Amino acid sequence: MFDVQSVAHQGPQSRQFNPYTENGGTILAIAGADFSVIAGDTRQSEGYSIQTRYAPKVFQLTDKAVLAVNGFSADGKMFVKKVKQRLEWYRHAHAKDMPIRSIARLIQTMLYSRRFFPYYVYNILGGIEDDGTGSVYSFDPVGSYEREACRAAGAAQSLVQPFLDNQVYYKNQTAGQDESFPTHLPLPSVLKLVVDAFTSATERHIEVGDGLEIYVVLKRDSTAIQSMEGVQEVTTSEEGQRVFYIRRELKKD
Amino acid sequence: MNTLAEQFSTTSALSKLKKTQALLEDEEMSDAMWGSQAGFGNVAQGSPSFAVPAVPDPSAFLRLHTDDRADPNCKIKIQHGTTTLAFRYQGGVIVAVDSRATAGSYVASGTVKKVIEINPYLLGTMAGGAADCQYWETYLGMHCRLHELRNRERISVSAASKYLSNLVYSYKGMGLSMGTMICGWDKTGPAIFYVDSDGTRLKGDLFSVGSGSTFAYGVLDQGYHWDMTDEDAQELGRRSIYAAGHRDAFSGNTCNLYHVKEDGWRFIGNYDLSKLHYDGPNNVPGAGYGYDIRIAGRASALQPAVAAAA
Amino acid sequence: MEVSFALTGKDYVIVAADTTAARSIVKMKTDQDKIKILSPHLLMAYSGEPGDTLQFAEYVERNIRLYQIRNLYALSPSAAASWIRRSLAESLRSRNSYAVNLLVGGFDTTTQEPHLYWIDYLGTMTEIPFGAHGYGSYFALSLLDRYHDPDASLEEGLATLKRCIDEVSKRLVVSPDRYKVKVVDKDGVREVEL
Repeated sequence: MFDVQSVAHQGPQSRQFNPYTENGGTILAIAGADFSVIAGDTRQSEGYSIQTRYAPKVFQLTDKAVLAVNGFSADGKMFVKKVKQRLEWYRHAHAKDMPIRSIARLIQTMLYSRRFFPYYVYNILGGIEDDGTGSVYSFDPVGSYEREACRAAGAAQSLVQPFLDNQVYYKNQTAGQDESFPTHLPLPSVLKLVVDAFTSATERHIEVGDGLEIYVVLKRDSTAIQSMEGVQEVTTSEEGQRVFYIRRELKKD
Repeated sequence: MNTLAEQFSTTSALSKLKKTQALLEDEEMSDAMWGSQAGFGNVAQGSPSFAVPAVPDPSAFLRLHTDDRADPNCKIKIQHGTTTLAFRYQGGVIVAVDSRATAGSYVASGTVKKVIEINPYLLGTMAGGAADCQYWETYLGMHCRLHELRNRERISVSAASKYLSNLVYSYKGMGLSMGTMICGWDKTGPAIFYVDSDGTRLKGDLFSVGSGSTFAYGVLDQGYHWDMTDEDAQELGRRSIYAAGHRDAFSGNTCNLYHVKEDGWRFIGNYDLSKLHYDGPNNVPGAGYGYDIRIAGRASALQPAVAAAA
Repeated sequence: MEVSFALTGKDYVIVAADTTAARSIVKMKTDQDKIKILSPHLLMAYSGEPGDTLQFAEYVERNIRLYQIRNLYALSPSAAASWIRRSLAESLRSRNSYAVNLLVGGFDTTTQEPHLYWIDYLGTMTEIPFGAHGYGSYFALSLLDRYHDPDASLEEGLATLKRCIDEVSKRLVVSPDRYKVKVVDKDGVREVEL
């Protein structure tokens, strides 16, 4: 039977308010001259337990913007939901999609409004700018952001980013005589890099694996994309942007 | 325990925040959110409002989850570590910064823009919390523009820095972290103000802020004088950031250099610190800043008599 | 490390404070004035938590000025000191209090007497013939017990202040190298070079 005395004998107790956990996974985005690739794995875990093998981390926001969210999945879900809501309101008010640089600023102010109770999320936004160039914006949990050409975030960030630095920025490589490195990679090479980055991260990081989702935002028609197997076109906007979705399997152990 | 005191305290930032939050919850979907004002739309109502966790001590909560110096395993890593400097001289103001952002011992980025272009005449630097500096200096930029529209003249560097200083002071103790220099040119000429999240605001000729500031000061103080040429001044800024990047592990990658003159600021360039080490700013192999490169061929020992005679 | 001294003499009060603004181990500035002139016959040296110091000093400065504008006469040193102390005490009982230590020196034009008040961040106030804040107080108080003379001329007073500054320079590990010295007497406030 429940004994009131025994509870009192346990002495004072303290409780910590901890509304955060870490759900693993990795996201990455690479910008090209007129396209942007945004990818993420689909494993969701807590500690050593895998909660699900399919939890999307990459979301299409508009015809030309895709957001990848990593960190604490509950915060991530809520955050994406709120961003989408604000973008819908913007569409109703202005009868057009918000430009990607404005989405980036919106995400900053939304993250910073929780400066004293942060969303535990790392965001990477990818898409096409108004001038037709591919772009990637990366954020910290409280909203500092920067436009970059490529960025990895999440559990395997420290495995993937150095690989990208070497293969995209040609860091620590020296061009041969009368040779130079390209400033922008073509789409097929970028897609190959993305798949390689994730298969390698899956090999060496326990929180990465199961499946890979890749979104490609293209400025205009490109034949390069058709050569990939399992490519699925999501939308084509009037302005000419096309969004493609590619799914690949990753190891499930 | 604190609720009674809190009820009667009117000055604290927290009670102010709680009040605005109560307001916010009433009308969470304010009109501004529908438009294009992107959350800054509530400027008219005063300052933006923030969500605060419902715990007795919100700043302790924030510290628990975000302070990686107190707990290296904390989840939310806010980016830290920097060297920034600015100095005033005969030809205007030189602003130089590094570009490294670290989260713990991981180099989170090597391409950070630590000079925030507030408007064509004002620059702010970034040390401490990256988001704090970016957000509040952007916010300051909006208020500088409002000042121009209301008063038909540009805001002075002094007034702009005081606005920022008062703003961050109202959040004292809540966990903001920023050490910034507001640099610009106004009616009084070139000006630099150091403003930090303690609420300190100092006017001065020469400042350096961040984990590498002591190293930058070492080179800067020794090479500084008022009558420098523009070229020498830019070189001194660049050389000082190189020195800090070389000695401070939390600073490095590249140096961004700005020059403020009467007609506003100008971006001078981005310099790879490794290139500066070996080849110097003009890309001449062997003309680098590095100690080994600088002393190559020289020695403290006396030359052997035979060699000297030959 | 912040150091401030003040002492009374025949019809005057001398207030001195170092001029360094430091952050961690770095001197950010070496010519910072930490003595506010509150009214024609009132001085206040302030030290303590960065940020709080200047905010509180400016708050006091403006309120004392407001009183003068509204009433066409300045507060007496004792009244001003009482008001300042009360402001600190009320702040101490709020969530964000000002951590500021003060030396308030003034010349009462009605009684022709100099007054000096020592106030700390807890709202402790006491009227004293001489006083100090910061690490300098550990050296200067005994020295002033030995050398202070309430009837001393200004020259003698400044000589005593010089002894304090010299002693701190000699014995304190990290001593400030520059001070700002201000005097208040029947003619008002002025800065003096040592």
